[in-house]
This record gives sequence, structure tokens and C-alpha cells, in this order.
Amino acid sequence: MNPLRMPFWGVDAAWLFYLLAALDMACLGLGLWEKISLWRQGRRAAPAPSSKQALGPALADVLLGRRIWRGGRIAGLMHLMLLWGFLGLFLGTCAVAVDHYLISFLHGRVYLWFSAGLEACGLLLVLGLMLALARRWLLPVARLERRPDDTLLPLWLLAVACGGFMVEAARLAATAPPWGAWSFVGYGLAGLFPGPEAARELFPWLWWSHALVSLGFIAWLPWSKLAHAIAAPASLYLQGQPLAVLAVAAEEGDLAALGLRHLLHLDACTRCGRCVEACPSARAGEPFSPRDVLHRARRQARLKYSPLYRLPWLRGRRQALLERDRAAGWEDAWYCTTCRACLEVCPVQAAPIEMVRKLRAGLVEQGSAVPPPLMDTLEKLHRYGNPWVAKKGAKAAWAAGRDIPDLSRSGQEADWLYFVGCTTSIDTRAQGIARALSDVFTHCGVSFGTLGKKEPCCGDIARRLGEQGLMEEQIEATRDLLNGRGLTRLVCTSPHCFDTIKKVHPLFLEEGLPLRVLHYSQMLHRLWRQGRLTFDHPMPLKVTFHDPCFLARHNRIVDEPRGLLGAIPGLELVEMAEHGLNALCCGGGGGRMWHEIPGQANLAVRRLEQAAATGAELVVTACPLCLIMLEDARKTGGFEDKFGIIDLSELVARALRLTAAMDEEAV
Amino acid sequence: MSGVLVIAEHRQGALREATLECLGAALSLAPSLGGQVTAALLADDPQSLAGELQGRAHGLKLYAHPELAAYNPELYLPVLADIIAASQPSLILMPHSSQGMDLAPALAGRLGLPLVTDCAGLSWSDGALSVQRNVYGGKAVLDLALKPAATVVATLQAGAFQAPPAGAAPTASDRTALTELAPRHARRFLEYLAGVVEDVDIAEADILVSVGRGIGGPDNVPQAQALAEALGATLSCSRPVADAGWLPKSRQVGTSGKTVRPKIYLALGISGAFQHQAGMNNSGTIIAVNSDPRAPIFQVAHYGIVADMFEVLPKLTELFKG
Amino acid sequence: MKILVLVKNVPEVAEAELEIEQGALDLEDLEMVVNEWDNYAVEEAVRLTEAAGGDVHLMTLGGEDDEDVLRRGLAMGAHSATHLCDEAFEGSDPTTLARVFAAAVKDGGYDLILTGVQSADLGQASTGVLLAQELGLPHATMAIALEPGAGEVTVTRELENNTSEKVALPLPAVVTVQSGINQPRYVSIMGIRKVRKMTIEMLEAGDLGLESQALGREASSVAGQSLALPPVGEGAQMLTGSLDSVCGQAAAILREKGGLA
Repeated sequence: MNPLRMPFWGVDAAWLFYLLAALDMACLGLGLWEKISLWRQGRRAAPAPSSKQALGPALADVLLGRRIWRGGRIAGLMHLMLLWGFLGLFLGTCAVAVDHYLISFLHGRVYLWFSAGLEACGLLLVLGLMLALARRWLLPVARLERRPDDTLLPLWLLAVACGGFMVEAARLAATAPPWGAWSFVGYGLAGLFPGPEAARELFPWLWWSHALVSLGFIAWLPWSKLAHAIAAPASLYLQGQPLAVLAVAAEEGDLAALGLRHLLHLDACTRCGRCVEACPSARAGEPFSPRDVLHRARRQARLKYSPLYRLPWLRGRRQALLERDRAAGWEDAWYCTTCRACLEVCPVQAAPIEMVRKLRAGLVEQGSAVPPPLMDTLEKLHRYGNPWVAKKGAKAAWAAGRDIPDLSRSGQEADWLYFVGCTTSIDTRAQGIARALSDVFTHCGVSFGTLGKKEPCCGDIARRLGEQGLMEEQIEATRDLLNGRGLTRLVCTSPHCFDTIKKVHPLFLEEGLPLRVLHYSQMLHRLWRQGRLTFDHPMPLKVTFHDPCFLARHNRIVDEPRGLLGAIPGLELVEMAEHGLNALCCGGGGGRMWHEIPGQANLAVRRLEQAAATGAELVVTACPLCLIMLEDARKTGGFEDKFGIIDLSELVARALRLTAAMDEEAV
Repeated sequence: MSGVLVIAEHRQGALREATLECLGAALSLAPSLGGQVTAALLADDPQSLAGELQGRAHGLKLYAHPELAAYNPELYLPVLADIIAASQPSLILMPHSSQGMDLAPALAGRLGLPLVTDCAGLSWSDGALSVQRNVYGGKAVLDLALKPAATVVATLQAGAFQAPPAGAAPTASDRTALTELAPRHARRFLEYLAGVVEDVDIAEADILVSVGRGIGGPDNVPQAQALAEALGATLSCSRPVADAGWLPKSRQVGTSGKTVRPKIYLALGISGAFQHQAGMNNSGTIIAVNSDPRAPIFQVAHYGIVADMFEVLPKLTELFKG
Repeated sequence: MKILVLVKNVPEVAEAELEIEQGALDLEDLEMVVNEWDNYAVEEAVRLTEAAGGDVHLMTLGGEDDEDVLRRGLAMGAHSATHLCDEAFEGSDPTTLARVFAAAVKDGGYDLILTGVQSADLGQASTGVLLAQELGLPHATMAIALEPGAGEVTVTRELENNTSEKVALPLPAVVTVQSGINQPRYVSIMGIRKVRKMTIEMLEAGDLGLESQALGREASSVAGQSLALPPVGEGAQMLTGSLDSVCGQAAAILREKGGLA
């Protein structure tokens, strides 16, 4: 007897099943159609670029669950079991359909292995679901919520899987085919039935209940968080694409005109909460959560653009929900430090950094929900080209007494343009970086100059605060100045300037000269490797390094500063619990340096608590904003007797015993 | 066509002190322009308010009507027009106050008279008035020479002139009870509102640490608070700081805030607009810290430090800690 | 409600060091900004129309560059703007300016005319009230709250010593707005770009039926003027020396005068 599949064995009224299945498909189709029509509108707002290179890593992330695994073994295991179990069963079902309607191939040995394979997938799925439920209810995973559908969904799927096994078991019990053992789970369960007759009698009941539960699940699928099965792979693929010219979403302070990329991100999120766990603001108890921002954005996008909400009987509900969101406002967007920690841990690369920027763009354009200190900062940036003082030409004061070529003037030449940046040139503490760095450059014989008083703001602050127009103006002004003077090689003090000049300026610089931009830590590291920077004097100090977000996470520069620290004889580097790509943000990014928000916490103090735990005598960083934030926190947080804060450039200058740098009050 | 007419100001049953400053200015100017100083007081019960005017003007004209209890330009204008028509003063003075700002331009506009406001100095020569005004937030001084005119309306900066001692001028007064105020007015006075009373009364403090625009933002307020605590002082501020909401309105020093007379007033990053100065210039000792050597605050301060307030703040706090 | 707001471009001097050349302010290093008080007035007008409908019209008087102040106001939500621009206006005193504004405003049919209490430059605090007199309208100054009612507006006026009063004005009326009445919105560069194409009505003296003899210096009550910087540190004894030294001196004064230990 040839082993083979027996579709609709023991079931009458197959027509009823087909009818229900058709309805079910309509429901599934409606859900998918709604999503796709939303995504298509996003495509019109801002098409996402697509490249082949991103395909490989995205596929690996999806099929191997690399990003989930990285954040936790149990979560990774659970997801792999569910993914492969589900995927196997899905492919199996497809194969059955092909076998039944097109070409019959599921017979004989193929069928037996096929059966065994599906058994294994089912088992994986069941175990995965039990693990999922256990993680939410038995093991304490704080970031996981316990919303009704978080429990209902796995239970339902469990019912589908177990029901399938029971149907199979009943069939095996009733028919007892000789190859029954290949379906090893069902075969084992068949023993539960008292006899073939009972199994035969129960079978239609089991079959129909399994059918209904399964159909219900399929209908729910596109509306549930399992929709991430489609959106997450797309999200992973699109996040790997280069930045496009940043289209602004701005209308009435909400999320109008999101790009395709963002709409896919919205649907890719499964509320796993890793972003909440990683977010420095949420961790400090501030009223901000990346997950909430994302889901509010998702609700807004749906309310505004879903074709379903245009139906007359949903219009009232739509209005009410929109009104509620409008009343709540989007002010929490100002808490984000743009540190990228959320994106770093997000399994589907969907965390809302860009969305926060767009939200801010909306708030800025609408105008009345911009906190007054930020207004003041933006107005200073606009009028005076810096966020600090209402004075033109304040940017050259730090260099008094130093003979540095002013490359904004014709006739002055140098190999490198040292782009000092607003904060470094104006803030009295951060000026030490500029002085130290210029002394180190001079010591190493680097030919460099600055733009003196004429140095514009690179546009970073405007960008982070969502002042798109101002950012564009500043980028254009910078481009004109650089092109006009033929300057193409830049070294920046601030990782913030570095990031914006490196990544955003080229988007606006089509006709401009190609820029080569380095952060100073890269430059010093190169000088050291070339032997132009050598450390002869031992410096017996225990230090720890605070990675600036825009150096480490945003630009993956973690080895260069550590290389330099390692090059100083006698210096011992001890790492904080969270360092490198996982470093905790000091709280100075995203424009937070310039404003105060209700309920804000001192994020820098939390960082220094980690520094204190290392027992280091000095906390080294490589960013003027980090330096200021940490220096303030050292005073307000009571760390004054414990350690000093110093910039890497200042430390290097001290190691070189450059006298001018010794005068700095740092440490 | 001579003399000075001072429009007296009162509120809630008390004469406003700024009126006396106007009388001081008027009395010192009267000899050079020839003529006498007359004060006009429009009130429900002018006699009860006139005490302080006695001996500080040559003439006192009291106008009484129940509706004149609270200021209303539309009640004032016809009465004043009659007085002016009758006495033809060369100069009409009133304080540059919330009332003066409301009344003086209306009077000048109604009668077609030249107007100068917020004068910190007045002089009269060759039949014409010259005035000194503080402009650009007190960062510059404008000297204006007016063309000769029969009558000029001027308002005087608060605190710029001294009240004369009582008995500076023998006063003859006459009282007119107004039976009818015409025409029926459009603007109606409804009520006075008292300001919000908060936990701290800065007017009661012996030492005030006061911050201005230079504080930069709410983030830096704790630094100033730390110094205030170290000194056992109270924290106050200038108008821009209160407008921005960095400190509550009740902490604001100045004409629109509170007038204070602490033993020590330490002004940090306050440029010293005159409306601020008028609220603190009677303090015992004023120490001002400002990075701009030309900041007007240094003109009322007893001691000045030209420095970044953020450099001075921590050092001073340190010196008084513990 | 149809609201007119008078606005003015002024140099920002709050944090600047002023330079005077030949009795006048050197504007080269100064940024021109909307007069702070006018900014509050525009915001108030826009809020009133956002709440109850209506139009906000802006008007300024000044040179060609001063159009910026109108664009900014349009970006805040005003609906239209008029620019009074004529060399003949230069050197006018507030009384004359009020006459010019009156000629431009009189047929506008405005329910409410708002101005700032004063301007940050010369701070004469008189244009609004003079305009009210020219137009024969009731006025109130120093508004820190406006509540429009049926045919009238209730104005809360800021008085001295932390008190205020409420007065009612029948409409149309002129109100001058004090700083702090609201929190003016931020005006983004995008916002200004969006109104770049809006047409601004330009009017010269002739368009208003004004003769140039009745304008400018000739018509002004001022014969001559000169600007000077106040003398440095007059009155104050300046503490000099290193930072440590001045702080030490200040501490000694605080101890002595304040009776501090």
C-alpha cells in the first residue's frame, strides 16, 4: 500500500469548508490590502532606495534571527523555533495544496519524510509557543508587556498547532495506517483515543474545530503583530539602504507623509521592548519610550491614510482618535537624545530615530509646541550661526594668542581644515579641546587652519531639532565656503559635526567637491600609526573611556580612541559596564544640551555612576557635548573627589607635556 | 502761557509716588521756563489724596467725581482739555507709568501737542525743551532737542527725578466738584486684580541674588539658587527671566514686578533696563556682575564686576559654602 | 474678527555691544529682528483668529529690508500684509507716524488693532495710542490678556507692583500688547519659505494721499537729536584683578554689608 495523504478524509460538507475558507481569504486579503495601500502611499511620499548589497545581510538577519539572538539567547531560541516551525508548516501546507490541486507528488517515501518533517515543525512551533508564554508569564522579562493579545496570540496559535496534532491523532487512531509512526507526534497521541470507533466519531468534531480555529487565526494574522512576518524582513532590508535626501514630513505637527521605509518600520515592530530597555531616557524614568512613539505613529498613519478609515461608519471614530492624539501632543519627542541605542538593539531595525526627527520637524514647522529654550537656541543658530551666544564672530576667541591660518581668507593655505564647531569654539570648558588639539597638531607637524570667525554651524543641531530649513541653509553656507576656498579635507572636534558633514552634507553637495572628513580621534590615531605622534613620558593613570554616541554607535569608531589610550605608556584603560556600541548616552545629544523639559532626569549622572564603578581616576571622552555634560554631572552628582573628566585631545596634549595644555583647568 | 502742569496719579486710594518725582522735575524746571507748577488731581475724593501734594506745588487743582476713583482716559481727557485750555501750561508732565503711557499719547493726540516719553532728563532753553532718554534697553542715551512749541506733553522715567521735600512750594488749592462727565465714555473700568502671591516675598528679603537674561536658560537657575542658599539669600530675577518662565513672576524685580530694598542686591547677568532699575535702585548695596562693561546696571550699582557670571557664580558659592 | 497688527523691525541689542557713529547707532554688526512686543501682538492676533475665525492683517513702516518682519508674521499665521515704504517717512516722529498709519488703516474695517506696548529701539510707547486718537477709537495699553466678547473686548492691563486691572472696550478698538501675554510660536525657515510667494501690498506716501511736507523731519516736533553710549561704570566702583581677586573682594563686601559670617 502506497503511503499517501488523504485530504478531507472523514469530512462531509467540504463545500462548507471552501466557503469559509473563501471568506477567510477575503479577510486576510483585506488586511493585507490595507497594509499595502498604506505602504504604497508612503512610497509616493518618499521612495526608498533599493540595493542588492543589503539583501544578503537582511536575509541572514531574518532566517537566522541574528539580531534577536544577540539580544538574548532564550529570545533567540524562541524566535528560531517559532520562525522555522511556522515557516515549515506554511511551506508544508503549500506543498499539500500543490499536491492536491496540481501535481501529485506526496506519496511513498517522499510523503513519509514530508510527514515526519511537518511533525517536527509542529513540535518546534508548540515548544516555541510554550517558551514564549513562559517568558512572558513565568520568567521575569521586564521589557515584555502583558497586553491581552500578547497572551491570546500564542495561545491561539498553540490551539492551532495542538488541534492539528489531535486531528492527525484521531485519523491515525481510526485508520491505523502502517506508516503511522512517521507522524510521530500524532502517532503517540493516537493512544489517547479508546478505540478506532471513538476516534472516527470524534474526528469530524476535531477536524472542524481545528479548521475554524485555524481559519480564525489566518483572518486575524494581518491585523495582529504577526504582520511583522512580512514587514520585518522589508524593514531590515530597507534600513540597510543609504540615506536619501531627507524629505520633511510636516503638517500640523504630526506624521504626515511618512516614507515607505518608516511605514514598514511601523508594522515591523512586535513591541519586544528592547528599545525601551536600551533608551537612556526611558531607563532614567523620563516620560518617553521609543516603543510608544512608534506605536502612536503607527496609529496616526493608519487613522490618516488607511483606506478602511475612510469608510463612513469609521469616520467618527477616526476623528475622535485623532483628536485624542492631538490633545496629547507629541511633546515627548523632545526627550530623545538621538543616541541610537534603540536602533542598535532593535531586532527589526525599526526603532524610531528618524521618526523622532520627523516629529520634531512637524513640531518646529507648526511652531507652538517648541519649548522656549529651544526656540532661543534655534533663533541664535539662525541669526548668529551658533547655539550659544547672540554675537556674530564669537568663534575665533579660543585661538587668541595662537597663530593659526584662517582658511576663510584667500592666500591662506593648509593641508587640513580643522572644523572646530560651535560648542568647542565658544563654551569655556570645551575651548580646552580646541587649544589642546591645535597644540597636538602643531606638535605633530600637521599643516592645518580653521575658518576663524567665519566658521558656520554645520547644521547638526538644526537637523536634530527638526529645523530642516535652517539645516539646509547652514549646509549650503558651509558648502559655499568650502567650495569657494577649495577645502576638501576636514577634521572635526565634535562627533556631531563629523556625523552631519560626513553623512548629510554629501546629500546636498551634488556639484560640490568631494569631501574627506575625519574625526580628530581618527586623525590622531593615524598620526600615531605613522609614527608622527609618539608618547615618551609614562602616565601612570587608570582611565575609563566614555564613547560618544555619534562616534561609536553612529559611526562605529571605537578602536581608534582606545588605540591612542593604549599607546600612552603607563595608562591603564578600564571599561565601564556599558561601553563601545553599548555605551550609555550622556544626555547631551538631540538638542537636549540646550533645553529643559518637564520631568527630565540627569542622564549624565547615571553615566558617571557607571564610571565610578570602574575605579578610574579619569573619565576620558572625545566630544565637547559629552565633556560638558559629564563635567556638570561630576559637580552636581558629587563625583568631584572621585575622578576628573577630560577630553581625549586634552589627555594626549598632557601626555605630550605640551605646556599650553597643562594650563587648562581640566584635572 | 507758562508753567508746568503735573497730572497726579493715584490708585486704590493712594497717591502714586511717581507723581512726586514729576513735581520735583517740574519745580526744578519752573524757574527757567518761568511760571508756576500746578498739580491736577482727578479722583472720587481728591482731598484725601492731596496731602503729599501740599507744599510741593504752587497750585493744586482737585476735581472730584465718583467715577474718577479709577483711572479712565476717556474721563480724564475732557477734564484735562479744559484745564489746559484755561491755564495754557508750557509743559505737561506725568510719570511714564502704566497710566502715563495710556494717557499721555492720548492727550497729545487729542489736543495736537508734541509728545516726548520716558524722559530721564529735562532742560529748557530758548523757549524749547531738550530731553534725555534711555534707549535700546538702556544701552544708549538719546538727546532730543524739541522745536519750540506752546505746550509739550512729556512722561518721566520712574526713578529718574527726586521728589521735592514737603514745603518746597507754598500751595494754593482749589476744588471743583464735577457734576457731569461728558461725553459718555466707551472704555469701562471693571476691576483691579491682585498679582499671584507665591511662597516667597522678594520684597521681604535682606539679600537678593537676582538673575537676568544672562542666566541663559532654566538649566542654569540651580547654579544661582546654590549661591543664594550659600548666602542665605532669596533668588529674584529681571523681566525677561520671568517672561520666559524660568522663574515665577512673583520673583520679578522692576516696575511691573516688585520694588525691592534689600540690604544687598547682587545682580547677575542683568543689563539693567530702567524698568528694572526703578525696582531696585534703593537697595542698600548693589553689586553687579555683567560681561558687558557698558551695561546700564553699572550706573546704579555700587560695585561692579565685568566678568562672565558663570565664572563668578561657582567661585562666590565656594567662598560662602560651609 | 478682522485684526490689524502693527509690527516693526528693530536691531537686536539685548546681548550686543553697541557702537555709535556720528550720533547714530552703527547697525552693521546688529541683527534686525521683529520687535519683541510686536511678536507677542502677532501671536495674540493669530490665536484669536484661530479660536474664533477671522483674518490677521499686518502692517509695517520701514525700509525695503523690513519686509522680513512681515514675512515672519505671515509665517506665524497672518493672512495678508501691507508695507508702508517711502523715504518721505524717514525722520517722522510718533505723531506723524500715527497719521501715516491712520491714513493706511482708516478704510480697512478692522475690529481690533494691536501693536506692541513699545519698541525695543527707542521705546516711545506711543504709536498705538496716537493712532487710536487719529482714528477716534477707544484704546487700552499694557494688555496681558485679551478676551473678546460680543462687540467688545475685555483687556487685562498690567499695572505697577504686580497688580493689574480689567477694562472693557467696545470694538473697534486699539490695544497695545505687553510682553509675556502668550508664548509666541517658533517661526521655522520652512514656514518663511512657504509664504515667500505671498504678495505684500506696498504703499507710498502718495498712495495714502499724504504730502511729503507733512511727513519726516520737517513735520517732526524734534529739532535735533544725538545718540551716545552711557558712560562706563559711572557710579559703580569697579572691582578689578584676577577672577579670584574680584570674587574675594565681592565676598568681603557681601560679608561687611550683609552681615554675613
